[in-house]
Amino acid sequence: MPMDILDIAGIYGLLGACVAVVFLLWGIDRVDPNARGAWTFRPLLVPGVVLIWPLVLWRWWRISRGETLGKRHRPPRLAQDYLALALALAIPVLLVAALLARQNGPYERPAVMLEGPAAEQDKSAQ
Amino acid sequence: MSVKYIPVQWVPTKYVYDAVLLVCVAVYILVFLRLGTPAADFTRPVDGAILRMRAFGTCAFLMLTLILCIGPLAQLDRRFLPLLYNRRHFGVLTALVALTHAVYVLNWYYAFSPTPPLEALFYSNTSFGQFLGFPFEAFGIFALVVLGILAATSHDFWLAFLSAPVWKRLHLLIYPAYLAVVAHILLGYLQDTKNPTFALIAGAGALGVAGLHLAAWARRPEKQASQEDWVEVPHWREIADGRARIVSLGGDERAAVFRGGQKLSAVSNACAHQNGPLGEGRIIDGCITCPWHGFQYRPGDGCSPPPFTEKIPTYRLKLDGERLFIDRNGYPPGTAVEPLAIPEGALR
Amino acid sequence: MTERPDSFFIGWAPPPRRLRGFLIAVVLGLLALFALTSYLTAATQDDPGDGAFRFDWGRETVVGVLQAEPYPVLHVLESERFGQGQALMLSGFGKRGVQDRGDPLDGKVVEASGVALKRGALDMLQVRGGAEGLGPLEGREAPLPPVVSLGRWRITGEICDGKCYAGAMRPGQGLAHKACANLCLIGGVPPVFVATDDIEGQRFFLLADAEGGAVTEAILDQTATLVEIEGEVTRRGALFVFNIDPQTIRLAQ
Repeated sequence: MPMDILDIAGIYGLLGACVAVVFLLWGIDRVDPNARGAWTFRPLLVPGVVLIWPLVLWRWWRISRGETLGKRHRPPRLAQDYLALALALAIPVLLVAALLARQNGPYERPAVMLEGPAAEQDKSAQ
Repeated sequence: MSVKYIPVQWVPTKYVYDAVLLVCVAVYILVFLRLGTPAADFTRPVDGAILRMRAFGTCAFLMLTLILCIGPLAQLDRRFLPLLYNRRHFGVLTALVALTHAVYVLNWYYAFSPTPPLEALFYSNTSFGQFLGFPFEAFGIFALVVLGILAATSHDFWLAFLSAPVWKRLHLLIYPAYLAVVAHILLGYLQDTKNPTFALIAGAGALGVAGLHLAAWARRPEKQASQEDWVEVPHWREIADGRARIVSLGGDERAAVFRGGQKLSAVSNACAHQNGPLGEGRIIDGCITCPWHGFQYRPGDGCSPPPFTEKIPTYRLKLDGERLFIDRNGYPPGTAVEPLAIPEGALR
Repeated sequence: MTERPDSFFIGWAPPPRRLRGFLIAVVLGLLALFALTSYLTAATQDDPGDGAFRFDWGRETVVGVLQAEPYPVLHVLESERFGQGQALMLSGFGKRGVQDRGDPLDGKVVEASGVALKRGALDMLQVRGGAEGLGPLEGREAPLPPVVSLGRWRITGEICDGKCYAGAMRPGQGLAHKACANLCLIGGVPPVFVATDDIEGQRFFLLADAEGGAVTEAILDQTATLVEIEGEVTRRGALFVFNIDPQTIRLAQ
C-alpha cells in the first residue's frame, strides 16, 4: 500500500515533467501572448506544472478552443467565506479535544502486583 | 495590459517587505538555537537535527498563522492592507521554511533504517484508528504539498493562465492546509512536550486565527433589500466623490457603485486582472483604479482605456424617490451604460 | 463621509506617508513576536535525559552468554567496562537489530564488540558488523542464568525502542518520535518498557509476549504514549523481562 502511493506519486511527477517540457517550450506561447519571448521566468513555472499538470492541460485545452470570459468576474467569495467560517469553528473543537487527550505527565503511577510469583521459583527457559 | 513576464516583479516596497520577512525568520531561528535552547534545562543536549526541525517547524507555524491573520485584519482595519498586498512572498518563504523542517525530519527520524525514508514515512506509523498516536505526519505532508502547490503557482502567469476564479479556488486550499497544520501540531509536538508553554503558544495562535475570521465573518456585507431584480444600494449619499460602495447582489456577485462628480456608475467589484476589489479603489484621471495593481476602467463602459483591452461587467442603476437600486443582472463585460445623474440637492 | 480621502494607494506602490508610523510599529511588533515566540518555545523544551552513545569509552569488547529470545541480550562474563552478570541488550547499526545473527548463537558463549549506549541502568551495545562484532567463542561454555518469576503485575509506562531511548537519539521517546520508534522496532531493535514505578529497583523492562517470544508486531500502535499493561515480570540474571498480554494494553488516563 505505501509503495503504491509512492509509485503513483512517481508516475504523476514523471508525467508532470513531460507536460512541463512540452508546455514551457511550446504551449505557453500559444496560451499567453505576454509569455512570447519571455524565457527567464519559465524555469520558475516548472514546479507548478509538475504539481498541477492535469489543471494545466485542462486550461490549455479550454484556451485553445477559445474559451469565453463567462465567470472571470465571479471570484468564489461565498466558498471563501464559508471555508473561513468552517476553519474558525473547527480550530477550537480540535484544540479542546487535543488538550483533553493530552497526557500531562510525568506520572508516578505505582505498579500493582496482581498475583504473587508462582510456587516453583525456577522455570528455566523453554 | 501587455507586459512581458519576468521572474519576480520587484518594486521598492517588495524589497522592504521581503527584507523584513527574512530578518524575522533569521531572528526566529537564531534566537531558538543560540538563546532559547541554551537556556533550557537539559541533562545532555537535544540532537542538533531535532532542534532544527523544532525551530523550522514552529517558525513555519508562526508564519502561516500570521498569513492567515492578515486577510481578516485588513478587512477589520484598512491600515493592514500593505501587509496583504505582498502576501505571496510571505507564502513562498513559509513553504520554504516548512520544507526545511520536513527535510530535517526525513533525514533524522526516517533515516538510518533499512527502509528508504519516503517509504518509512508512510508505513512506520499506521495507527490511523486512534487519536493519541495518530500518524500526525500525514497532516504535515498534506499541508506541505498544499503549500508547495500554492508557492509554485504564485507567479502572475498562473493567475492569467488559470483565470482569477480558478486560481483563487486553488488557493482556497490554504484553509484546509492550515487546519491540517494545526492538527499536525496538536497531535504531534503539543502532545510530546510536557512543559505547557508550547501548548499555550500554539493554542493562542490557532485561536487568534479563528477569532479574527469570526470577527470578519460578522462584518461581511449583508444581503440588501431587493425588489425582484433590483437590489437597494444602502447609504448611497455617503459615497464620496471618486469613491465607491460595494453591494452584495447575492451569491458570489458583488458590484461597486462609484460616484464621479454628480454621476453614479456601477461595475463589477472584481477586477479582470486578479479579481482585486475595485470598490476599494478610486477614480483617478476619470478611470476606476484597482487598489491591487492599478488596472483602470472607464466608469461608463467598464473598458480599460486604450491601448489596454481589459473589460468588466457593468450594471444599470435607478433612483426610486430617495432610494437607489442596482439591477442584479449585469451586462456583458464592456457594455456601455449611461451614468445616472444625481438630482440637484440629493446630496446634502 | 466614512472614507478618508487619502487612504487609497495601489498595492505595489509605496504606502502613504501617514501609514509609515503604523507600519514601522507593525514591523517592530513582528520582530518582537518572532523573537519572543522563538525564545519561549526553545527555552521550555523538555529535558531529553542523560542517554548517550558512549563514544568516549571507545570500543567495548565483551564476553558473555547470549540469550536470543525474545531479543538478543548478552549476560556478561568478562568485560573491562561492565560487571559480571550485567545484562546488555544488543543492536546493529542504525535502526537494525541483530536477531538473525543472534539466533544461531542462543545459549552460547560469544564475544561481542561495538559502541555502548547508556541511560541510567539501561545498557545497550551496538555491535560491529560480521563475526568480529558478534561471534562464538569456541571452547568455552557457560549456562544462562535461571529465570525467576516476580509475579503478575499491572504497570504504567511507555513502550520505547531500546536504542533511541538509551541515547541513540535525544529525545528518543514521546509522540513526535513515535514513527522513528516504530521504525527501530520493525528493524529489530529490542522494545523496552520504561515504567513509572520500579520493581525490585528496576524501571526498564525488556518486552516479550506471554510465551517469552518477540512481541514487536503487537505493540506498534501503543508505542510512545503512556500506557497500562498487564503481564508477568520475570528476571533472568540482571535482565528484567515484562511478558505482556498485548490485549491488556490501555492508554493511561
